[in-house]
Amino acid sequence: MYEADRALVTRMRASEQRAFDEFFKASAPRLAAFIARRSALDSATLEDIVQSALIKAVRNLASYRGEAALFTWLTEICRHELADAHRKAGRRPAHLSLDEPGSISHDEEQLRAPPNQEPISQLYAATRRTEVMRVLQSLPAHYALALEAKYGDGMSVEAIARELGLTGIATQSVLARAREAFRRRWQETSADPDYGGSAT
Amino acid sequence: MTDQPRTHLDPDPRVERTLTDALGTQPMSDESLERLRAVVAREWRDAVAAEQPISSRRSRWIALAAAAALAAVAVALWVTRPSAQTAAIGSMTRLAVDGLEVRFGLFQHRRLKSGDPLRVGDRLTTRGPLLITLARGGTLRVAAGSSLNIPGSAELSLESGRIYLDIPPGSSAVNPLRVATSAGVVEHVGTEFEVMSDDRAVRVRVREGRIRFLGTTDTIVADAGTELLASPGKIISQRSIDTYGGDWLWTAALAPDYEIEGRSLIGFLIWVSRELGRPLDFADAHARQVADRTILHGSVRDQTPLDAMSNVLASTSLTYEIRGDTIWVRSGP
Repeated sequence: MYEADRALVTRMRASEQRAFDEFFKASAPRLAAFIARRSALDSATLEDIVQSALIKAVRNLASYRGEAALFTWLTEICRHELADAHRKAGRRPAHLSLDEPGSISHDEEQLRAPPNQEPISQLYAATRRTEVMRVLQSLPAHYALALEAKYGDGMSVEAIARELGLTGIATQSVLARAREAFRRRWQETSADPDYGGSAT
Repeated sequence: MTDQPRTHLDPDPRVERTLTDALGTQPMSDESLERLRAVVAREWRDAVAAEQPISSRRSRWIALAAAAALAAVAVALWVTRPSAQTAAIGSMTRLAVDGLEVRFGLFQHRRLKSGDPLRVGDRLTTRGPLLITLARGGTLRVAAGSSLNIPGSAELSLESGRIYLDIPPGSSAVNPLRVATSAGVVEHVGTEFEVMSDDRAVRVRVREGRIRFLGTTDTIVADAGTELLASPGKIISQRSIDTYGGDWLWTAALAPDYEIEGRSLIGFLIWVSRELGRPLDFADAHARQVADRTILHGSVRDQTPLDAMSNVLASTSLTYEIRGDTIWVRSGP
């Protein structure tokens, strides 16, 4: 089903530079966006996680069997890296002494929201993103994947179809059903006045 | 709120707006992507190189059988081997994959490692990327999976794959290096350029200086920032390209090591600028003075030009940023 992805990996394993170029161009910016939607990490930490995930991927190309889309496989690696980053941040003490500035580690500072994300509008946007992501995660996985690919990554229906292993028409239908499912769930759970909810 | 009846495929604009607003993200900067790409590419090459020697049992039997046959042939070739070695056009400086099999003469071959000469008459097919320091000055970088012949001391023949030539301006102007392809011949005029070729088409990208392309139907002189596309017997097309960015990262990953010990910071920055294809500029006069006066110590071996610049500038009072196509160096943080 994912012959093109499998062929790409085979070409990469045969040292074909053009295959690596295709892989990197298609994966790196999209993985960064994938992480950005699921965390409030600053750009340096985010870049570190993308780097770790891609390095693990290129070291383990032989383990990609073509059972899922290559990007889906990458996102699984990425989820582990992201979880590790959060775990490391969680191990640090919740309260840090202001008398010991040295105790605030570099990583801790990096995992905090950067100052330019502190204004209320940024906070509102982040909250809304979290709500949208929560609703997406409550939908069937292929609905969430299709909506994120279309509205987050700006992918064409044809590209999404390749990722879902479907035809273009079937993908359009999935997108339509996914939008409808999202609308219903959003209406139920959010206070969005545009959807008839009450603003708080 | 008004809810109009909708068809199955008719998207609700509120849903589209909600999703687009919430799921859009800030894209990674070009600088971050370049840095990331260089690191991941290096890991990929290492991983692929480590995987190559692991061959199947069947391949080993085939290899043994082939070795036995070759041993018999080798005895015959011993008698017919050339009595004198041909001229060296350069030496192997870096191989991503250990050992490179080079064919020469009728059926002869030898294995090259770092430091070995590459000679007229050699024919090579690369498994990993490699860097060759040319005897005439400059470097030849060859991408993995390329097939290249060396018919003369001033001529390369690219059968397929991708090469990059960096010939310092003013070197060997009398006898310019020529790259023969299926669709014509590229002659350099002191320049950096890339040639990608197979039996159907040839792409030449000029990064610095000027080249002359002698096609089967036409001859074209192309300056820096130009791409030529040619197919045998067809009109050559050309367009403008950037001399920096993702398309050139493979060449930066193969950049020769720059020995910084005892050399000026300005010389190092100019080298980085050429390797990245980005102009160098200074935000203030003081920064320029510091670059002129600073003498460097230490080593940046095995670092990409961008990493090397980050590390070197971190030890000075200068910082840099990539703004548009330019490397901007300034005083202070």
